[in-house]
Amino acid sequence: MTAFTWMIVLPLVASPLVYLAGRLLKRGEQTVRWLALAALVVTWVPFAFAAFDLDANGPEAVTLGTVALRLDALGLLLAALSLALGTLVVLYSGPYLAAESDQEKHYASLLAMIGVMIGLGCAADLFNLWIWFEAMAVASFLLVVFHHEQPTSLEAAVKYVVQSAAGSVMVLLGIALVLSQTGTLDLAAIREAAPDSRMMLAAGALFVIGFGVKVALVPLHTWLPDAHSQAPSGISAMLSGVVIEAGLVALLRALGALAGVSASWGELLMAFGALNMLAGNLMALRQTQVKRLLAYSSLSHVGYMLLGLGIALYAKESAGAQGSLFHMLNHGLMKGLAFLAAGALLYALHTATGDHRPLTVADLDGAASRYPLTALGLSLAVLGLGGLPPLAGFMSKWQIFMAGFETRNGWIEALVVFAALNSVLSLAYYAPLVNAVYRQKPSAAVREGQPLPALMTVPVVALSLAVIVVGVWPGLLRWLSGPAGDALLATFGMG
Amino acid sequence: MADVLIIMTMGLPWLGALAVWLTGDRRPQVQHRLAVGFALAAALAALLLIGSTSSAVELRIAVGGAFGDFTFVPDGLGVFLAAVATVVGGLAVIFSVDYMHGEAQLGRYYTLVLLFIGAMAGLALSGSLLLLFIFWEITALCSYALISFYNDDPKAVAGGIKALIITQVGGVGMLAGALVAYVYLGDYQISTLLSRHQELPSGVLAVLAFGFLAAAAAKSAQVPFHTWLPGAMEAPTPVSALIHAATMVNAGVYLLARFYPVFEGVSGWTTAVVVVGVVSALLAALMALFATDLKAALAYSTISQLGYMVYAVGVGAVFASQFHLLSHAVFKALLFLSAGAVIHAVGTRDMRQMGGLGRQMPFNRAVFIVGALALAGLPVLNGFWSKELILEHGLHDGPAWAYGGMLAGAGLTALYTFRMVWLVFFGKSRRRDHVHDAGLMMRVATGALAVGTATTWLLVGAFGDLLEDSLPFHSLHVEPAGALLEEIVTAPATLVALLVVALGLLAWWFRDRLAWIGEAVPQVGQAAAADFGFNWLNRQIVDGTARTAEALRTTQTGYLNWNVLGIVAGFVVVLVVLAVG
Amino acid sequence: MSALNWVTLGVLGLLGAGLYGLLITRNLIKVVIALQILVKGALLALVAAGQASGQINLGQSLAVTVIVADTVVAVVGLALAVQVKRLVGTLDVKALSNLRG
Repeated sequence: MTAFTWMIVLPLVASPLVYLAGRLLKRGEQTVRWLALAALVVTWVPFAFAAFDLDANGPEAVTLGTVALRLDALGLLLAALSLALGTLVVLYSGPYLAAESDQEKHYASLLAMIGVMIGLGCAADLFNLWIWFEAMAVASFLLVVFHHEQPTSLEAAVKYVVQSAAGSVMVLLGIALVLSQTGTLDLAAIREAAPDSRMMLAAGALFVIGFGVKVALVPLHTWLPDAHSQAPSGISAMLSGVVIEAGLVALLRALGALAGVSASWGELLMAFGALNMLAGNLMALRQTQVKRLLAYSSLSHVGYMLLGLGIALYAKESAGAQGSLFHMLNHGLMKGLAFLAAGALLYALHTATGDHRPLTVADLDGAASRYPLTALGLSLAVLGLGGLPPLAGFMSKWQIFMAGFETRNGWIEALVVFAALNSVLSLAYYAPLVNAVYRQKPSAAVREGQPLPALMTVPVVALSLAVIVVGVWPGLLRWLSGPAGDALLATFGMG
Repeated sequence: MADVLIIMTMGLPWLGALAVWLTGDRRPQVQHRLAVGFALAAALAALLLIGSTSSAVELRIAVGGAFGDFTFVPDGLGVFLAAVATVVGGLAVIFSVDYMHGEAQLGRYYTLVLLFIGAMAGLALSGSLLLLFIFWEITALCSYALISFYNDDPKAVAGGIKALIITQVGGVGMLAGALVAYVYLGDYQISTLLSRHQELPSGVLAVLAFGFLAAAAAKSAQVPFHTWLPGAMEAPTPVSALIHAATMVNAGVYLLARFYPVFEGVSGWTTAVVVVGVVSALLAALMALFATDLKAALAYSTISQLGYMVYAVGVGAVFASQFHLLSHAVFKALLFLSAGAVIHAVGTRDMRQMGGLGRQMPFNRAVFIVGALALAGLPVLNGFWSKELILEHGLHDGPAWAYGGMLAGAGLTALYTFRMVWLVFFGKSRRRDHVHDAGLMMRVATGALAVGTATTWLLVGAFGDLLEDSLPFHSLHVEPAGALLEEIVTAPATLVALLVVALGLLAWWFRDRLAWIGEAVPQVGQAAAADFGFNWLNRQIVDGTARTAEALRTTQTGYLNWNVLGIVAGFVVVLVVLAVG
Repeated sequence: MSALNWVTLGVLGLLGAGLYGLLITRNLIKVVIALQILVKGALLALVAAGQASGQINLGQSLAVTVIVADTVVAVVGLALAVQVKRLVGTLDVKALSNLRG
């Protein structure tokens, strides 16, 4: 076993241990929390080794039994994102869930989900890819339905499970088609052997839609606003910041195998990108619930990622992919921050007083007077999502836009202008959040709100700093996004 | 040396912002002092920087990748605007010590003001298109946050968001322009664009030219993007003086002037610039004539004066536009700040509830009148010289209809200025309570600006040399100060303009006898009061978007079966698209 | 008709039935059953694909794995159904439409 397999195995092994510790030990809540945190912190060690290895020796393939794994820069990026956000979310969930029972389920599922997502990024075989994908889905089901005594959580989980399962069946059908046409499931081998047939085209459509349910392509997105807003806030951050992105990576890996089947994958992704941006922004515009608003904004940000990826596939240049993956990282930071900050306010204003109402924009009035750091974090997050400099989101959007103009194709340039106008539109719903938190007259909820535990503020402050630092110094993450963009193009055989 | 000064000009305000923020709202006295100290230090650095003016890159930060090098160039245009931003910024901060005394959230106020000052200096000194755009957007962000500083007031929130969105829409033009420039030239450096613009295909150059024009018009509140500026008057008055009169709104004119050598050859561009300038100057002057809100009247007047500067760039008088920019920054900041002192004392912005305040606020009346005379273009204040210079260039180099329009605008300017002064300071007092004159800090700020209004025109020679020497691509030939001033004094155009100004003054004097004009064409007043329909257009767009969004929400039915249908439909569409394409 | 064609027909039939169920039924248990029918179609397809590509063992081992994975999903679905019945009092998915817009 090499370093990167440890990176997958450690969280997966820790998951049942955490569960058992919670079940068997008396007063296990504290133990599971710190055990989970320790497992993730330890996982950073093989991550560092794997990163150095990859940098020095290039991608490495390992086969454990029937599990074919291959770590490339794209997989490393997904691993970095899930570990980073996962660590912060575990830290944050301690106080957030302190009053809940069955916490071990939460932490065990979260660890499993993180391990599985890292594995998903390393899948080298189409069927393995599906297994990881399905395992990620199951782990996330358990997390979404954590508040299983609330009808709205159940409703969200039902939609999530059924729509995900429908998507997963489509992926299976696609796999069957690919197997029957090419006789192999190895991603690289499929790309070599893929015949240019109708059947393969249908398989491609099945992959786009099957994985697309998880990526929340419009019109397959209908589960997302429910699931992301009803999950515990730490999980909302994971779902928006990493899980849909993991789905996107799975989609790209599968499409990469079919690269030669159609010349229009790039255009298809761009079309979905445009649709996602517009629909996500318009749906978010009139929302009054903060977490639901943020969930819709994830739709539009998936749109930006798709735009950059589509540009890269169209132009066969990695610039767009680099920008898009940079945006994936930044979106993870910003949306993670937004959900954690909103969740902290939700906790302080409602949950801590035993109230399970959703957090509305009106509740935020004057929040800055009592929760200055959290309110500032939320403001930075949404302004960054809106693409204002000097915050992270601006830089990655710029990179995507630049790649679009480099194609020198009038349609794509028009699409970039459309995307930029969409960013402006998104400010129409982000800005009022900022205005609300800085009102002087606090809402009733703020006046009666509970104090925030310090441990919940730590991840918020850390992510706020990250959003600013990356915005000022965009080269900071290039060691991740640059090679990952190249690796993505290599996945499509264009590298 | 220059690099250190550049860093100080931008960095000191930002450091001050951090310091004020860390101080916290419990120690307002410390916050006041820190803000004033850092703002003045930055102003000093900017003034020293004038001594190190050069057209070379003095500070370079390699960012690499898609972002190129971030460079700073302290050329004449840059150091001049940076100096205006920091000096007026320093005075606005001094004024704020009185004006914002006892206000809540003082830390947020000063943090944002200082952030703005630093960003504005950065905008002026940027040598890279991307960096310019970044600072461009940061100033918009600060402007938005300060307009809606009083977040509890829905009008302030609406005004802030409107300003943000309209300037951002224009900013998209700049984004597109910067991107095409990079793609075709392989470099974000402004000097590259200036020196190699001949290599760009004409279509690309047109995108660049008109994209930047849109951005400039949005930032400088020119028609049809001007609607945000009156709404921005909800900001605390020092902010209006600093951002929405003296500095940020000038960024658009600055942009046009900076890239004039690139765009002048683009067919239709100079005409478009002239049209934007003339229409803005005239319409805004009419709106100022009918405004009842003191700050709104000043805002319309700002739009109108910015129109003069844009017009000047359009007829090729880059130096005249920048000279007027300097004059306007000083006298309009003065007008806003002294108006702020009035508003602070009276507690309303409605001019109909003022009147006769002069006796109670003699100092404030004096400085306001100095500013007003400069705005009206009366000798020998700075506004006179710069406006005459623009008009003279317009007569020689521009189309006659545009010159006529601007001349009429000068008359209207005089008319609305006298109306404003009269309504506020003279006539019958409409209040019983006693009103106190401006506080000490307020007097320091407005007094300094009044002195500036009377004297900045003396700098014309030095200013001309500064631009001439450090802008290699503009090929400016500014005459020596003596010749220039003599030319203005002796030119027949000046006499004509002064006559028109006098007509404007007379029109106010005999307003009762001229009332029949207003009664004969009431539509003009109604249209002006209704913003000539531009606000209606804005509202239609906003309402339309909101209606679409609301309608779209019905697609999220919440029913599982419909959600599954979405998946099936998506699959069918993708399959068909792939099979066909 | 060859055996493969019959199998294809069977796959399409199962998929059609499952999809129809998902689109029509409002009972949560039936929704889970419809999903199961869909998965069974996919299973058949996998086995047939293995056969068609001359790797019958591969197809079958994939199918077995899918059965295991899918059982987990079915368990989650049924557990949700139980909880819904307990909390909401009905299995009708129409009752689960409070999150909209």
